[in-house]
Amino acid sequence: MSNNEDFKYTISGNEQIIEFVLNTKIYSLPVISQAAYFFLDKVYILLDGDPKKEIIVKMKLKNKQEKIIDFADNFYNELLNQLLRVGISKSNSKIREYIVSKALYNAVPNEVDELLKEVEEEDWQEDPLGIAQTWDEKNDESKK
Amino acid sequence: MNQRNNMEKIKFNQKIYSLDMIKETAKQFKDLAEIKINPQNNYIEVQLDEIDQKVREIIKDEFANYVLGLMS
Repeated sequence: MSNNEDFKYTISGNEQIIEFVLNTKIYSLPVISQAAYFFLDKVYILLDGDPKKEIIVKMKLKNKQEKIIDFADNFYNELLNQLLRVGISKSNSKIREYIVSKALYNAVPNEVDELLKEVEEEDWQEDPLGIAQTWDEKNDESKK
Repeated sequence: MNQRNNMEKIKFNQKIYSLDMIKETAKQFKDLAEIKINPQNNYIEVQLDEIDQKVREIIKDEFANYVLGLMS
């Protein structure tokens, strides 16, 4: 078993297993699970602990020719990547929602626009019932 | 026909893993073993029985990876 004080991980099981203890005040569960996802093809991963305090990440090598230590630093880098991604996602959430809602709003035909279009298309100069005519025009004897 | 034997157990922390994801994984692995899911106090215990001999060495770890994959 070996410990690294800087990055806090423990290697055991004939250098096949590595265990990280991560403070969830820094790395939330979604950040940890997203970071772990990137290593699923290389290592077996099991999570444990309490999401309110600390998460224990256990990694076991799939290919015994590789070195588990190589994954330790990369995992911390990936945690940082995911932390940044989640941070950006949070800070952009309002503008993202605005863009999507605007796009959806424009895609749906607007009722007011349709009514305006109908009115514009109507020929207001037509007078099929003759209501725009004056009494004189209607009763002009000379035209009869 | 593949030989089947042995038993493996995996304990998933209920605060981290969801029962639905474990059930979904069990569906995908049903041809490789007989799977029993027992929710306990803080853990969900998954018992793998009658494991297909071909995957006996890795099924436990692959199962855990699959659940994590569904979560992410």
